[in-house]
Amino acid sequence: MSGNGLRKGGVALTVLGLIGLLAVYWLAFFWVSTEIRQGVAQRIFYVHVPAAWTAFLAFGIAALTSAMYLWLRDERLDRAAVSAAEGGMVFGTIMLITGPLWGKIAWGTYWNWEPRLTLTLLLWFIFLGYFMVRSATDNPEKGKRFAAVVAIVGALDIPFIHLSVVWFRSLHPEPVVLKPEGPSLPGDMLILLLASLAVFQILFLGLFLLRYSIENVRGEVESRAREATVA
Amino acid sequence: MAYLGQIRAIVWKDLLLELRTRERLVSMGAFAVLAAVLFNYAIDKTIVRPQDVAAGLIWMTIIFGGLLGVGRTFHLEAQDGAFQGVLMSPTPKDAVFLGKAISNFLLLYLVSLLVVAVFMLFFDLELGSSPTALALALGLGSLGFVSLGTLFAAVSSGTRMGETLLPVLVFPLLVPMVIYGVGATGRLLALRPVTEVAGSIRMLAAFAVMALGAGAFLFRFVVED
Repeated sequence: MSGNGLRKGGVALTVLGLIGLLAVYWLAFFWVSTEIRQGVAQRIFYVHVPAAWTAFLAFGIAALTSAMYLWLRDERLDRAAVSAAEGGMVFGTIMLITGPLWGKIAWGTYWNWEPRLTLTLLLWFIFLGYFMVRSATDNPEKGKRFAAVVAIVGALDIPFIHLSVVWFRSLHPEPVVLKPEGPSLPGDMLILLLASLAVFQILFLGLFLLRYSIENVRGEVESRAREATVA
Repeated sequence: MAYLGQIRAIVWKDLLLELRTRERLVSMGAFAVLAAVLFNYAIDKTIVRPQDVAAGLIWMTIIFGGLLGVGRTFHLEAQDGAFQGVLMSPTPKDAVFLGKAISNFLLLYLVSLLVVAVFMLFFDLELGSSPTALALALGLGSLGFVSLGTLFAAVSSGTRMGETLLPVLVFPLLVPMVIYGVGATGRLLALRPVTEVAGSIRMLAAFAVMALGAGAFLFRFVVED
């Protein structure tokens, strides 16, 4: 796809995602039934859970494309990695804000070292390192390699972090959708959750494409600057 | 066998360098003792008993002290392009990494035993239910730490930020090591049976193997220029 096509596609998907987000908010506030035990506070679930899934997906894509970049050294893979990592930071931040807000009401405390919240916090910091490494190198190519190493070690560490923080403590509500006996969520809640998930994916894809086309332009600027110095 | 010889040569070179400058061992050792002195005043003994928090403090001292030493792994050699010489030798990059990690491990393990000895002395602690298991937990923890530490010391020394970047990169990754290390140490110091910490020690071992393997494999991508 041409650079222009990427940008147009990115804009279109982002706009679509934002409109979808408005719809999700409206449905979450006015349409879906109120959860009987947790009350109104549970409605944040339709933002929190899709944001968490999207963040994990984005970080997963970033780690995978980073590993492939080290292997194939294709600039496009690095651009995809940085675009996905940035999306992961955005949705991770949403997850980290909405989680404690809900926790204050449901648990009585903002933060209680709940395993999945802790894992997201650590992932957020691992990818903060990813961006710091990239921006602190004089040679961009070196920064890309360093950042890829950070992402790969981070991905390898995730099972250990997960096991250890679960071992340390677990208070989080158990999964209500992805479990062997099928979803236990009432119909309208499940529909809204899935719709919201789709909206978040569209928004992520839109932002990803926009970010990717910016990286393309940046790469072009860099290579032209190099040619200019050679000539 | 040539591979082991190459690793041994790197380890020997690093230890000799350390023996002659004594830069890192002295700074890490002094840090450990001084940190214990500060911790003495950081604990109000009318509220908590030192043995209740000792395990956490021991591991924090090892991590911060270790960061001090590991962060300088590539410092001395950065002068006069000495490290370029090491990289240009026919030694495979993973052997260079393993040599560096092993020499760092020997230094840090020595320091971590010193940390425990100092805490025993200052806080009047017992050596726990199994000194062997304690030594094993400290050894595996140190190995995991230096593996990640050496890899990311190479990364951070290649950036403008230098060592200030190192804690940001390694602290999130060290969480499992701290959880299992402190868990095992705390229970051993509280005279619980060894069977209770076997799982934690196995996880420390798995973590160390993952970190050492990842470091050995990924080091080549950090130092290629």
